[in-house]
Amino acid sequence: MASTAAVPFWRSAGMTYISYSNICANIVRNCLKEPHKSDAIAREKVHFTVTKWSEGKPEKPSKIPTLNHQSSVSIRLDLAGVSCAGVGLS
Amino acid sequence: MIIVPATTGQMGVLPGHVPTIAELKPGVMTVHEGTDVSKYFVSSGFAFIHANSVADVIAVEAVPVDHLDSNLVQKGLAEFTQKLGSASTDLEKAEAQIGVDVYSAMNSALTG
Repeated sequence: MASTAAVPFWRSAGMTYISYSNICANIVRNCLKEPHKSDAIAREKVHFTVTKWSEGKPEKPSKIPTLNHQSSVSIRLDLAGVSCAGVGLS
Repeated sequence: MIIVPATTGQMGVLPGHVPTIAELKPGVMTVHEGTDVSKYFVSSGFAFIHANSVADVIAVEAVPVDHLDSNLVQKGLAEFTQKLGSASTDLEKAEAQIGVDVYSAMNSALTG
């Protein structure tokens, strides 16, 4: 028996809940008054450091340039032998 | 008591509320502590009401309504309403619709 729950419009367009929620949050952040707006934008800046592993040893880590959620960049990493450290600045 | 903007409508929560998980839509959460009332705009998220009368409201952004700038909200609403009209792919339409929903909700929060 198939469930008949209605699907939200963003999911039927192929978006995940996380993307939806982040888009909403970005919109709210952009409508803040200063200084709250700069604080919020600074709080959400993230950078990633990627370390490739080969033969049980880590290679030199490389940084992915600073992202903010406004640039919805999607990163596809070949995760076999890669470890990631994500740092949120607060 | 709190009132949260659930996707199914405004939901009031008092001690003794049945345990519930509610998905929230962008909107205003009103907190009543005695006679004090504070309003927060919540970007989206969830409300968990536990059996011991503790409620957790989880949101990526929850800001006091007076932190919102009404000029930016009006501009954004106009911009996204226009985008919704000219969107072609499903994804563009969805993004434009999300923008319209969030800006409209912020607008109601500021003018209501």
